[in-house]
Amino acid sequence: MGESDYSFSLTTFSPSGKLVQIEYALNAVSAGATSLGIKAKNGVVVATEKRMPSSLMDDSTLQKISLITDNIGMVYSGMGPDSRVLVRKARKQAQAYFRVYHEQIPVSQLVREIASVMQEFTQSGGVRPFGVSLLVAGLDEDGSHLYQVDPSGSYFAWKASAIGKNMVNAKTFLEKRYTDDMELEDAIHTAILTLKEGFEGQITELNIELGVLGESGKFRTLTAAEVKDYLLEIE
Amino acid sequence: MSILEYNGGCVVAMAGKECVAIAADRRLGIQLQTLACDANRVFRMHDKLFLGLTGLMTDITSLHNSFDFKLNMYSMREGRLMSPQTFSSLVASTLYEKRFGPYFSEPVIAGLNKDNTPFLCAMDLLGAAAYADDFVVSGTCAESLFGTCETFYRPDLGPDDLFETISQAMLSALDRDCISGWGVTVHIITPEGVTAKSLKARMD
Amino acid sequence: MDSIIALTGDGFVMCAADMTNARSIVVMKEDMDKIMELDRHRLLCMAGEPGDVAQFTEYVQKNVHLYQLRTGVSQSTRAIANFTRNELAKSLRKNPYSVNLLLGGYDQHDGPEVFYLDYLGTLHKMPFSAQGYCAYFILATLDRYYKPNMSEQEALEVMRKAIDEVRIRFLIKQPDFLIKVVDKNGIRTVSK
Repeated sequence: MGESDYSFSLTTFSPSGKLVQIEYALNAVSAGATSLGIKAKNGVVVATEKRMPSSLMDDSTLQKISLITDNIGMVYSGMGPDSRVLVRKARKQAQAYFRVYHEQIPVSQLVREIASVMQEFTQSGGVRPFGVSLLVAGLDEDGSHLYQVDPSGSYFAWKASAIGKNMVNAKTFLEKRYTDDMELEDAIHTAILTLKEGFEGQITELNIELGVLGESGKFRTLTAAEVKDYLLEIE
Repeated sequence: MSILEYNGGCVVAMAGKECVAIAADRRLGIQLQTLACDANRVFRMHDKLFLGLTGLMTDITSLHNSFDFKLNMYSMREGRLMSPQTFSSLVASTLYEKRFGPYFSEPVIAGLNKDNTPFLCAMDLLGAAAYADDFVVSGTCAESLFGTCETFYRPDLGPDDLFETISQAMLSALDRDCISGWGVTVHIITPEGVTAKSLKARMD
Repeated sequence: MDSIIALTGDGFVMCAADMTNARSIVVMKEDMDKIMELDRHRLLCMAGEPGDVAQFTEYVQKNVHLYQLRTGVSQSTRAIANFTRNELAKSLRKNPYSVNLLLGGYDQHDGPEVFYLDYLGTLHKMPFSAQGYCAYFILATLDRYYKPNMSEQEALEVMRKAIDEVRIRFLIKQPDFLIKVVDKNGIRTVSK
């Protein structure tokens, strides 16, 4: 950032009090593939569409769901490269915490750290806000959590939520289907069904990704074979 | 005289049945000259966590200030009190950060876990932690304290018996050490609260 | 070889310091003031390496003044003592100051207080204290004769006894001592 021309913040207030760059960032998120998360009685599930631009692409190499610590996972909607930066920072924060306290970072603390990073980029010179919304799923002492973090840096805890292209329909679907005492298996089925609602084309085990955090406390991305089994179950 | 013995002093902590006691002497000296008889080496971090520090007084003060700060920040950020186990990790990493220019202080941590089981830990000046379920010692008369504690200690003592035991162990060891002494403060930590008592030792 | 003494009385603090400035075997001057006035109600008695002493104590004095200018209120004696301790502790592992201090002050809320501060950053509040070789003689004398809440007259008597002890028994000739008193009205000099 050598030139002084770019040393001011690109996120400046509009007369109506909005930060237009953040609004546009949210548009970038809404253009991305749908992701959703559901908090069950005994765990959390996150799911996302893996929208490949061409059938020539090797879909096994695209990983939208990332592991942050043993007990925290994350999925995004929006710009993939932006999410990689955040995943990296989140992993480092979690490890730095462990190094001092020898204890896994509580989910709310990690979410707060990620959110403050995202907020920094809305108030610094020469940078733009992140073009992703994140869904963070985790299990700690206080139980299971599902958080959504937006480009502005605000974060919300959800029982179930969706982000990305089909979020409005997906959220409506979830509102109808969600119950407080849902089991994890039911949540997984509901997640797949919600994705299927707005899916363009045929849903297969290769174009969706599922991440599950069960009672064991270990976050895991399901293999294609496991996803296929679930798809068959809901037929 | 080594740096750790410059100001003198010692701390011991013992575990009982759902209680812990931590005791420290009150002498502050400059090598063999006694400066004061009311120095404080044991600090309350919160109602179920006490930290005792021996060694160089200036480092004791610096470390205590630093841990107070870190603990307060943690409580505010996380909305919960730090557990003794976590605190001992924090102390160890803080000390090791200064590996090649250490704080000349050897801490003793005594507390009650969430389920009211006792927690004891002693560390050297670099942060090497030793956890025990009976007693931990630190200071100029540590060797004597090991001996007296081993003799007097019984498992599962109640708060009053624990107080008696730790006092006797401390006084016997102290009286033989010329750079510790001038009285003892004992804190007994139970799930109901903390009691502080003072003992009069050989005032010399 | 500086001798400095401070003790608390009934609503006042009495500080004494020798007035000799010596370099190796030569006496430079016999009228040096080793008791610095930090503000209206605080005295800082200094002992140690001459250069470090001058630098450090002036630094403390100016910072105390700066706080007063910025905020419009004076810091308490305890706050000044802790500030000074922090500076000593910070410099200990970088650029140590060879300075031993006694901070005596009268505080609105806490009354008269004496703080012992040595070059390592050891801070301790005491009813009376001394720094230097003279401490070996003075602390013993004060242990015997000091009583809490003495009047100024009694305190002066006790101080005289302690100084006489130093004069008789200490190897180095220190004929003159400067005594200052600080109370709620400010600072006064009671020369010796």
